[in-house]
Amino acid sequence: MYLTKEEEHIYDGEFGWANQICMKILVRLGELFNATRLIPINSAHVSGVSYKTLGDAPSDFLEGLANADAKVKVKATLNPQSFDREYLYKKLPPDLCQKQSDIMTYFEKMGFTESLTCTPYYLENPKRGSHLAWAESSAVVYTNSVIGAWTNREGGPSALAAAIIGKTPDYGMHKAENRQPKALVKLEKQLQSEVEFGALGIFLGKILEDKILIIQDLQNASEDNLKQLGAALASTGMVNMFCRENRGVKFNEIEKINVETKDIKQTIENLTTTSTQEPDLVFVGCPHCSLNEIKQVAELIGSRKVKDGTEFWVCTSRHIKEKARKYVEKIEKSGGHVLTDTCAVVTWTDKLGIKTIMTNSAKTAHYAPTLNKAETILAPLKECLKTAFKG
Amino acid sequence: MQPITLRGRAIVEGHCKAEALVSTKPISFLGGVDPADGKVSEKNHDLCGECIKDKVLCFPHGHGSTVGSYVLYSLAKKKLAPNAIVNQKADPVVVVGAIIADIPMIDQIDIKQIKTGDLVEVDAYNGFVKILKRKES
Repeated sequence: MYLTKEEEHIYDGEFGWANQICMKILVRLGELFNATRLIPINSAHVSGVSYKTLGDAPSDFLEGLANADAKVKVKATLNPQSFDREYLYKKLPPDLCQKQSDIMTYFEKMGFTESLTCTPYYLENPKRGSHLAWAESSAVVYTNSVIGAWTNREGGPSALAAAIIGKTPDYGMHKAENRQPKALVKLEKQLQSEVEFGALGIFLGKILEDKILIIQDLQNASEDNLKQLGAALASTGMVNMFCRENRGVKFNEIEKINVETKDIKQTIENLTTTSTQEPDLVFVGCPHCSLNEIKQVAELIGSRKVKDGTEFWVCTSRHIKEKARKYVEKIEKSGGHVLTDTCAVVTWTDKLGIKTIMTNSAKTAHYAPTLNKAETILAPLKECLKTAFKG
Repeated sequence: MQPITLRGRAIVEGHCKAEALVSTKPISFLGGVDPADGKVSEKNHDLCGECIKDKVLCFPHGHGSTVGSYVLYSLAKKKLAPNAIVNQKADPVVVVGAIIADIPMIDQIDIKQIKTGDLVEVDAYNGFVKILKRKES
C-alpha cells in the first residue's frame, strides 16, 4: 500500500499512540483487501455505541483512545445508545445507565457528534458520489443505494479509526467497477406495504450473499419503503447495495431471481413468532423514523388513546424529533412515547418486562428473538396502531 | 526433531515462543470467548472450556460481530490474551483486534500442520511459524 509522507509519519507514531493505532487499523485492513492507498472521507458513522450490545469490552479501548487525545478529523456521527434521557433512563437500572454514560463521555471527548441515530443521512444528506466510512449496515445500504454516496460496510472499530484519521482504504464499494449489479430480481407483484418491502429484503439477503442486485419496478417506491428494504437486506446478508434503474447492465449476462408473492407472504409469517394479539410493546422506528413517518403516525392515530398496559414507542433522532414537534405532541398526548437516541433492539426490553414486541420493521422482527429474547409480531403500521390504540 | 517451518504473511509484528492451541473452527470473540477468564465459552466449539491465555492460538479465521475486536483488547489488558494468533485466512475482526491489543499475528498458514500442545515459535516480523517440538504423546 502506498502511503504519503504524512501518513507514514502517523504510522510511525510521530503523532502519538491514538493516531498510530488508528492508522495501523486502516493500513492493515487496506492490505487485507488489496487497497493501494487511503482516500479522504467526508464523514464517518460509528456503530457499537449501545452498552447493551457492546458489554464491557470496548470501554477500555475507547477510554484509552480518548485519554490519548484522539480527535475526529471529519464529521463523525454515532449509532443509538441503550436509553433515551427522558423516559427509559428513569426506568432502567442505574448501574447499566452509568456504564452507557461512561462510553458516551469517551466518544464526546474525541469530538463525535452526539447524533445517536441509525439514520445519520437525515441530519445531513451526504453528497452523491462522496466517499464515506459508515458502519451500521442499514445506513450503508441506504446511502449506497438511495443517496448514491459511497461506503463499504465498516465495522465499529474501522469506522472509528477512519473518523480519527479522516481517511479510509480505497477498496470494495469505493471503486466504480464494484458497484455494478450481479443479480436481477423480478417481482411477481408490486409491493404494497413497508412490511412487504422489509420481507423482500430478508428473503433476498439470505440467498444473495454479497451480490449487488437490481430490482425491477422499484422506481416508484418511497424512500421510507426503500429504507425498510435495505435494513432487512443487510440483516440477513452481506449485500451493501441495491439498484433501482438499469445502468447499462446486460440482463442476459447476470443471475436472475424470481420472487413470488408466496415468498413474501411466507417470509412475513416466519417473522411472527407468536399467536398472541396482545403485545407488551408496539414499536415503530427501526430504522429511526423520518419526518414523514412520524407525521403518518400522528395522522393515523386520530384522537385515539394507547391501551392500558401497552407501551407504544416511536423511535427517531433528536434532529427529526425537533422538526416534528407538533406531531410529537399529538403522539405523546395519546399516551405514546417518542424516544430519541435509542430503539427497542438496543435497549434492555427484557428488564422492562417486555415479552412480545409488535413492529412494522422486518429488521426488528428478525433480531428481537435473539437480541431481546422477545416474541415478535410483524405487521404494517395501520395494524400496529390498531393493536396499540383503543377504539 | 528438525523444526518444521511454515511460511505465511505477517499481519501484526512481534515474536514469541509458546505452546499451540489449535482449533479447526472459526472463533467469534464476541460471545465465543469469556473476557473475564480467557476461556472459550461457545458451546459445541472444539476449544470450549480451553483458556487461550499465553498460547499461540491457531484457528482458520474469525467471524461474528466487529465488537469481537474490542474483546481481544480487553483480554490483553487483563493479561489473558494469547501470545500470538495464527490464522489460515485473516478477517477484519481479528486483524483489528490483534492490532489494538498488540498481539503478533500471521496468516496464510496451513494450521492443520500444527497440533495442540506443540511448542512453536512465531516470527511475525518475517512471517513464519516454526514447530520446534511436537507434543509428547
